[in-house]
Amino acid sequence: MGTAGDLLFLVCAGFALGAAVATVTLRNPLRAAVALLVHIVALAGLYLTLNAHLLAALQLLVYAGAVVVLFVFVIMLIGPTAAISRGPVKGVLIRTAGIALMSLVTVALAFTMIDVAAPYVAMPPCPPEMGAECGQFGGVEALGRAIYVDSLVPFELVGVLLLVAIIGAIAVARGRSAAEIAQARKRREERELEAAHERAEEKRLAAEVAAHGGH
Amino acid sequence: MEQVFYERALMWIVLLPLAGAIINGLAGRFAHKKLVGAVAVGTVALAFVLAVLAFVHLVGMKGGDDGARLTHHVYEWLSLGFPRGDVPVNVSFVMDSLSGVMTLVVTGIGLLIHIYSLEYMEDDPGFARFFTYLNLFTASMLLLVLASNMPLMFVGWEGVGLCSYLLIGFWWENPAYAAAGKKAFIYNRVGDFGVLIGMFLLVTTIGSFELADINANAREALQPFVLGRWEVASVATVACLFLFLGCTGKSAQIPLFVWLPDAMAGPTPVSALIHAATMVTAGVYLCARLSSLFILSPTAMAVIAIVGALTALLAASIALVQNEIKKILAYSTVSQLGFMFAAVGAGAFAAGIFHVFTHAFFKACLFLGAGAVMHAVHAHGDADIRKLGGLRKHLPTVHWTFLVSCLAIAGVPLFSGFFSKDEILYGALLSTGYFESAWIGWFLFAVLALAATMTAFYMFRLYFLTFTGSYRSAGEEGASHGDGHGYAPHPHRPHGRIAWPLIVLGTGAVVVGYLGLPHALHLPNVWGHWLETTLAALPPAKRELPEWLPWAAMAGGTLAMLVGIGLAWTRYKDKTPEIDEAFAGTSFGRLLMDKWRVDELYELLVIRPSRWMARFAGYIDKYFVDFLLTRATAMGVQVSGWLFTRLQSGLVFAYGVVMVAGLVVLAWWFMYPHPEVEGAVQDGGVRWVAARGLGYEYRWDVNGDGRFDVEEWTDQHDVTTRYEEQDYVGYALVVETPPRGQEVLRLDPEGRTRVIPEHLLGRGWETDAEGNRRPPAASVDPESGKVVLRANDAHVRAPAGAADEDGVLRLSAGDTVQVGAAFMRVAPVARATVEVRNAFGNVRPATEEIVLDPRVGGERQAMLIGGDR
Amino acid sequence: MDIGLGEYLALASILFGIGAVGFLTRRNVLIQLMSIELMLNAVNVVLIAFNRYLPENHTGQVFAFFVIAVAAAEAAVGLAIVISLFRVKKTVQSDQADLLKH
Repeated sequence: MGTAGDLLFLVCAGFALGAAVATVTLRNPLRAAVALLVHIVALAGLYLTLNAHLLAALQLLVYAGAVVVLFVFVIMLIGPTAAISRGPVKGVLIRTAGIALMSLVTVALAFTMIDVAAPYVAMPPCPPEMGAECGQFGGVEALGRAIYVDSLVPFELVGVLLLVAIIGAIAVARGRSAAEIAQARKRREERELEAAHERAEEKRLAAEVAAHGGH
Repeated sequence: MEQVFYERALMWIVLLPLAGAIINGLAGRFAHKKLVGAVAVGTVALAFVLAVLAFVHLVGMKGGDDGARLTHHVYEWLSLGFPRGDVPVNVSFVMDSLSGVMTLVVTGIGLLIHIYSLEYMEDDPGFARFFTYLNLFTASMLLLVLASNMPLMFVGWEGVGLCSYLLIGFWWENPAYAAAGKKAFIYNRVGDFGVLIGMFLLVTTIGSFELADINANAREALQPFVLGRWEVASVATVACLFLFLGCTGKSAQIPLFVWLPDAMAGPTPVSALIHAATMVTAGVYLCARLSSLFILSPTAMAVIAIVGALTALLAASIALVQNEIKKILAYSTVSQLGFMFAAVGAGAFAAGIFHVFTHAFFKACLFLGAGAVMHAVHAHGDADIRKLGGLRKHLPTVHWTFLVSCLAIAGVPLFSGFFSKDEILYGALLSTGYFESAWIGWFLFAVLALAATMTAFYMFRLYFLTFTGSYRSAGEEGASHGDGHGYAPHPHRPHGRIAWPLIVLGTGAVVVGYLGLPHALHLPNVWGHWLETTLAALPPAKRELPEWLPWAAMAGGTLAMLVGIGLAWTRYKDKTPEIDEAFAGTSFGRLLMDKWRVDELYELLVIRPSRWMARFAGYIDKYFVDFLLTRATAMGVQVSGWLFTRLQSGLVFAYGVVMVAGLVVLAWWFMYPHPEVEGAVQDGGVRWVAARGLGYEYRWDVNGDGRFDVEEWTDQHDVTTRYEEQDYVGYALVVETPPRGQEVLRLDPEGRTRVIPEHLLGRGWETDAEGNRRPPAASVDPESGKVVLRANDAHVRAPAGAADEDGVLRLSAGDTVQVGAAFMRVAPVARATVEVRNAFGNVRPATEEIVLDPRVGGERQAMLIGGDR
Repeated sequence: MDIGLGEYLALASILFGIGAVGFLTRRNVLIQLMSIELMLNAVNVVLIAFNRYLPENHTGQVFAFFVIAVAAAEAAVGLAIVISLFRVKKTVQSDQADLLKH
């Protein structure tokens, strides 16, 4: 990686870090969503430095184009002000403990990671013996082959997963009209009435058996 | 017509009534009664016609040694795997002289009873159901008779039992009738298990289900039956006794006879067809079918004969005092079946089957006559003879046929019963020469003659009280339908459909007897000659038999008949039944009225213990399963569930914190390498393989000297080396004790002694019996590097030169010695140590030792199984 | 300065930590969902960085691809739950949604 690559990494990493901090700290969820957008774009840049061109594009398409838009949409649906948290905070102690632990682990991990020594310290450049293959790495054709040929079954399964998620989202988010609610209540009452009848009938039969039984 | 036609006909004889049952069962309730009746009677009539055609063809056929036979193989139903090979279960039918006769009886009498039922059941709402069952019964009975092998026969056997159950409980609205049906079914089940066991004993011994094969190879069953450590009689005896247990259930013999009198709860035609003429004779048929097997076991034959004779006597004694027509006839049937079994047991199979044949006619006629009487006086269920009488005037046809049948069953000469009973009595006398002890034969004769006397007596008691004198329900105008109030005041005459079968059967009751003329007269015995190809003959008599035996049989039978009828004549002719009251008051009379209290005995011996057992099982279910297992488990789960809910806060971040804690543990685990190393002997060297991990680097010390072979870290995770003597870190003793397997004893290189555990040495390793038992001990001599084995008090066999005078062996790697039952091999031990460093720079070592012996480890199993010693 | 694997891993750890801490600090379900996205993205960075070092195959990138797909599904369902929660509770605070307790 040349100097330009280093520079790109530094810029992207800076943006990613800053935007991540902003995402979790900003009080207004709408602003947090915008910060998330910035973070995602910065990560796409990082993917470029790692020769993952297709994934960078996908990152922009899926995250920036779909996920963040979905977030914004939901925030607007609820109402930006309603989405702001109020009221007393619960579980301060355990929360603080968790935060402290996580911070500690994060710092420890980061310092250990940055010291990662042998054997793969530097990013190996594209070696000449790999030739054209190496240049292909992360490209549409190579990655497409890896996804659609080598990992075809998981890919199809992910398709099914997405379908299930769509149906699940509809089922969960869909509200019920007043008429539907009334109908459901009526049905439940009918069921309860029927069950009561059955219980009474059973009791009557049991009494009958007890009266005539024993032979 | 061609042979094939008659062979195919066998299948259709069975299928036609079955088709009738299916048609009536599915569509009968929607159809008109006439149509239902036409289907039911038509199918049976067709089957009868086919049976007659096949039988006539059979009579004309020339057969081999085992007689003429028609066989039709339809298909192979199953193939059962047995140690001796696969045994097929075929769906195939065979008609020989025996099954031909039975087929004629079943279809012929079945047809008459179908016709009779058309009128008898006319007003019953279950008309179609009745004919469905009746047709199904006919099909099952024909399957039983025509089956060529035991499993198929068993299908028929079960089928007739099922139909019997359905028809006894035909009027299931009455709980007593339904209970009678259940009783019949359960008693039959007890017997059926005997048939199954007998069948499987035979197939495992003889290796075939086919009846013909069993008969042909019956001698194979003479091998002893081994039960655990004991030899209990021969397989033939055991199998025959189990089969006979089935016969006692199906044919109502002691001890399982009590269901048959209760079975009279069914409609009268059913009593006539199933519980008199056909189904109950299935047991006799089974014994006759396997006669070659039964004849091999005198023990089983004696049991059968004595049980049959005692049943004949017991049932006849009960019949003496009963007051319901059908009850008397039912006990009479049990008694007559006893006669048949006595004949079979005595080895007179032909006589037994002959009695089946004649009995079918006169007993069916009696039952149908009883039904006609009941129909005439509007009695439901059964008719009390105390309220009848004088019916001779009202029902002349019924009277005459009934009288003829009574004469036949009583054994009056020139009527059929005389001939068959004479054959049986003669058979009993002949068996004095067959059984080991002659008294069995004499006993049989005496008991049967007594039973015959009783038979004549109770039959004519029944006849006189029913048909002579005056009609005792005439005065009770308006009160009808039983309930102790008497019957219809004016009996009405039956129509032709009831009368004709009576006349046919009555005629049969006279003429069929002439098929088997008494031996005393030295006339041709058509019956015996016809069946002699199918039935086994008795072996030559063990002792001299007197010339007068046939005359004795005939005289005994005639005398019994005369005494019985004479007594009944003087006591009941034109009398009222009050005459019995004095006798019924005595304690013996009451015992007879209560049918010897056999039901009560079973209640005490079987039913009550079963109830107790059921109650006990119920308690177990209630308190152990339902409470301890189910409720207590549920409570335990509930309590622990409640405890775990205390851990839940329902707050999302709390779960997040717990996840973070888990993450910390995981991170910590990944911070350090987790080295593992395994060695495997390979091509004389050892290949060491260390576990791989992310960013792992390795340093090896494979020669056990404590220093790393290469100081630098490499990513080489496997090393292959050869070991020389100086690289060994010690020795091990590989101890092989053949049945037990292999054990490796690691020897300390410092020279400490290790005693070889006694359990590895097997038995008898000690040199002296004085009680000195010091097992051998091994150690490594640090100077010479050899393994020193002290034999101590054990037997040791070693290669020459290895042992010195005082029993100390010096062994090098590869040497083998034998101590007791154990083989010991000296094998060197090699060691490898690897240090692993991961990407975070943390380092951990792992050490592993390997015994350099090709048999240690993976090949151990192969060695034990291969057994190269 | 030479940028290597270590720097990428360190960056990913920090991003993951920020996401985790955000998940723990914030009570707003929407922000918590965004924190989850941050963590998933951090994992993606690790996967892609390692794939760059072992470029014989594309396993890491394919894995990252699947993570993106799963994250999209998760966001869809998560946001549906948020709407449902808001309809019932008139709030999007996670500590108000404790109906499952006991």
